[in-house]
Amino acid sequence: MITLLKNGKLYDPAHNKNGVVEDIYIRDGYIIAKVNAADKINQTIDLTGKIVMAGAIDMHSHIGGGKVNIARMMLPEFREALKQYSEPEAHICTPNCSHHATPTSTETGFRYIEMGYTAAFEPAILPINARQAHLEMADTPMIDKGGYTMLGNDDYFLRLLSDKTDQKAINDYVAWTLHATQAIGIKVVNPGGISAFKFNQRRLNLDENNVYYQVTPRDILKSLSRAVNELGIAKPLHVHCNNLGAAGNFQTTLDTIQASDGVPMHLTHIQFHSYGLEGDKKFSSAAAQIAEAININKHITADVGQILFGQTVTASGDSMMQHLNARHASPKKSVIMDIECDAGCGVVPFKYRDQNYVNALQWAIGLELFLSVTDPWRIFLTTDHPNGAPFTSYPHLIRLLMDKSFRNEAFAKLNLDAQAMTNLPSLTREYSLYEIAIMTRAGAAKLIGLKNCGHLGAGAQADITVYSEQANKEAMFGQPDYVFKNGELVVKDGKVVKVVWGATHVTKPVFDMSVEKNLKQYFDKYHTIQLDNFKISNDEIADNGRGKLVSHSKT
Amino acid sequence: MKVASHKINCITATCPACGLLCDDIALENNNNKIKVLTKGCEKAVSFFEQPVGDTTPLINGKPATLQQAIAHAAKLIKTSQQPLFAGLSTDVQGFRAIYNLAQKTNASMQHMNAQSMTRNLKVLQSSGWQTTTLTEVKNRADLIVCIGTDVVSHNPRFFERFVWAETALFTEPHRRQIIYIGDKYLKTKHGQQPHGYSAEHIQCTNEDLPEILAVLNALVLNKPIKAKQVCGVAIDQLQELADDLKDAQYAVLAWLAADLDFAHAELAIGQITQMVSTLNLNSRAAGLPLGGSDGDTSANNANTWLSGLTLNDEVIEHDLMVWVNSFGSEKSPKISEKPLIVIGNNSAPLPRSRVPSPAYGRGLLMNDKGQGQTTSAPQSQDSPQTPVISPSPVSGRGVGERSDAAQIPEVFIPIATPGLDCSGTLFRIDSSVVLPLMRVRENALPTLSEVVNRIEALL
Repeated sequence: MITLLKNGKLYDPAHNKNGVVEDIYIRDGYIIAKVNAADKINQTIDLTGKIVMAGAIDMHSHIGGGKVNIARMMLPEFREALKQYSEPEAHICTPNCSHHATPTSTETGFRYIEMGYTAAFEPAILPINARQAHLEMADTPMIDKGGYTMLGNDDYFLRLLSDKTDQKAINDYVAWTLHATQAIGIKVVNPGGISAFKFNQRRLNLDENNVYYQVTPRDILKSLSRAVNELGIAKPLHVHCNNLGAAGNFQTTLDTIQASDGVPMHLTHIQFHSYGLEGDKKFSSAAAQIAEAININKHITADVGQILFGQTVTASGDSMMQHLNARHASPKKSVIMDIECDAGCGVVPFKYRDQNYVNALQWAIGLELFLSVTDPWRIFLTTDHPNGAPFTSYPHLIRLLMDKSFRNEAFAKLNLDAQAMTNLPSLTREYSLYEIAIMTRAGAAKLIGLKNCGHLGAGAQADITVYSEQANKEAMFGQPDYVFKNGELVVKDGKVVKVVWGATHVTKPVFDMSVEKNLKQYFDKYHTIQLDNFKISNDEIADNGRGKLVSHSKT
Repeated sequence: MKVASHKINCITATCPACGLLCDDIALENNNNKIKVLTKGCEKAVSFFEQPVGDTTPLINGKPATLQQAIAHAAKLIKTSQQPLFAGLSTDVQGFRAIYNLAQKTNASMQHMNAQSMTRNLKVLQSSGWQTTTLTEVKNRADLIVCIGTDVVSHNPRFFERFVWAETALFTEPHRRQIIYIGDKYLKTKHGQQPHGYSAEHIQCTNEDLPEILAVLNALVLNKPIKAKQVCGVAIDQLQELADDLKDAQYAVLAWLAADLDFAHAELAIGQITQMVSTLNLNSRAAGLPLGGSDGDTSANNANTWLSGLTLNDEVIEHDLMVWVNSFGSEKSPKISEKPLIVIGNNSAPLPRSRVPSPAYGRGLLMNDKGQGQTTSAPQSQDSPQTPVISPSPVSGRGVGERSDAAQIPEVFIPIATPGLDCSGTLFRIDSSVVLPLMRVRENALPTLSEVVNRIEALL
């Protein structure tokens, strides 16, 4: 079966194609270079004048696991009221859009594919809760998925570090955890802080000791990023810095970049970590300093975690900072958990308001970061779904980046004090289609180490999105003409026409199995389940044939 | 049976009999007969040693083939205007299947533990909460307050596994302080320190808990209380407890929704979670909801990610009930005139007679609290009617034959029990840990998913 996509205008940054008109051939779910004369073309779709990109990849979106499900449980009102959505930034609806901050697993898959996204990665899988994350992702149709496993607050790791165990043992433990939890990357959330909160510490700075273990976040970051690097895991350590959301936290972020010591590191949702202390309200933008540090340090990548105005819910592993943030909850409720000597979580509903000084400035800080980081291969388009806004607002965010006059109109509606505290109007940059394709496709695939995704070259998984070019980029990115998943036409004119089930991407670095000896002793002594039950088998992911495991290695 | 095929296997299995999901149960499979060797509590023994029972499907009490039973069930579901899928005692995989069928047939869904689950959900949805999980309790808790429950009646190994552990990371387990607040019948001996002090027991009726907890909350907030006692409990005693809670390194306030079986029990739970919230302003404390059975935590979690909503306890109009009951045959739906399809465990045979015993007319139906029972049969953990169990000479330990108390279903399809006859996946009571269940004995019983998929194919 060969499908020919004819005469599309290709934006394929992995192959330096910036609006080149070319044909694409698809065979058995993959893009092939060309066909032989004898091959029969079964289907031809004329894409003359259409924009063609690889399927988009969301490299950071909370799509599965305990936190998200707690948010759903806690917020039944989200399912009732939001159809009549009238927030200042209401995005253009896809046909079945619910504007939902906590979509069901099915809605998640449908809304993503309707926007031309063909993969999303859950960035905060608690190892002990990984089975739930995979169960939810298994029930998420249409898209590929995968996740980053959280380490750095688990007592096993902190004991290794505080006992000054050699790096090899830590590397083996990190690799073992990736296998056991079926993940593709490692994340650290508020390094040492989630553990410290359990010992009643309320804040933890980069060089402050966890009172019990007498190790600092800097020690934790160094050890984990070294492990990730030495194990040959493509995805750099995914870092949610200390002091999330706190005024003045930009210094922690700068110090974290400095602590990376040249080893690749990804700073996630940096918007929430770029706050200064200036002005009457002691809350200001430090986006310029953060962007400059990213521009200089070529081994650093970041995603923004843009906030957009409206109702959402914040769901984070950072129980320490979410406990502090709970006083701002709207509606006024929250769930904070200590979890299994492994991690924690905090779920706090939030309503971002354009007339609120802090929220308005957060909005501007995110956009300042997007527009000030010069290399689109090292900055990624996220709202930290659902923390900054639901992922369904991506088309709106893309328009804010591509359309300066649209951005200025939105800016003019902001809280006036906030307007005075940002240099956003002086940033005249407008993202090009090519740059958007880098951020949302080629760059994301490169970052995670997905060789067959995010591009349109031969050998790529035929995940392809086709748009009609429009001046209104929100309308354009909100409703692609066609989306192909593994070569099959699954979305036509913004509507799902076929339900398919994507693969789960993982990485399985080599490690010394003898690590299990100590782990078993530790589990038997301190944990409450058997070590063998902690491990998720390949069969569980395969889920009787509905799921599929794709393992990636760096080389 | 030939001697050559006689096999004895030893297995370590996970027990779904309560929300703790103990996964250290040593079993012996002696030629397909299961015996619990070690670590089994009474519930685990009843679960694992239940007999296979009759695997024949029934239509109106008469034996039928699986295909006939499935076809009959499909016909009933197809003609129903308002089907209700109830019981829902199953694992994640089974729930997914039944959820899909409910979606296709516009059926409503309700779990057999809906009442107790809803008590917790009301609090979660109105104020949220701050909670912890079992491994944290094991390694950190230095003070555990059991409120309105002795825990062990539902979670027999709670103290053995998580409290009186041999060693813990951050506390001395043998010196933990245990305090009960609640009924005088609570089994408090499990809270006694090994070679140490007995647990303190602040006695009151569970109905008085909201009031007592409100005063305790005030004391934790340093609000002066003029009264000398509340509901018979001395304020001084509560003041001491408030001080202990504030001084604790990691205080755990445990409750069990099924035991808080009185009107507006959510107010008591709300008082507990509010207290935890107050304590956490200065020190560390956490709530711990316990209990769990019949896959309730799993069904609620899966329903939430599939539908966006939790399961609830609303009264649901229906013209057909499909009762799903995978883990034990003892819980059956309330008798009603509506047609009933049962897809479930058959360790104890269902009545085959169409003539109900005169003792069980409509006048003796259970109300929601299981009141109106005419026997002294143990009350189930939650609301569904507990049919009368009588000792049976043929059945195994702990499981008796049913009397005619249960309604004769129009269709009965016996299915495999996850963790016994087939593999599966379950959520532990703390919702954070999800464990695989394994098949420990061989038989030809179909899984719930297989039955549901075959029904679906006929619709």
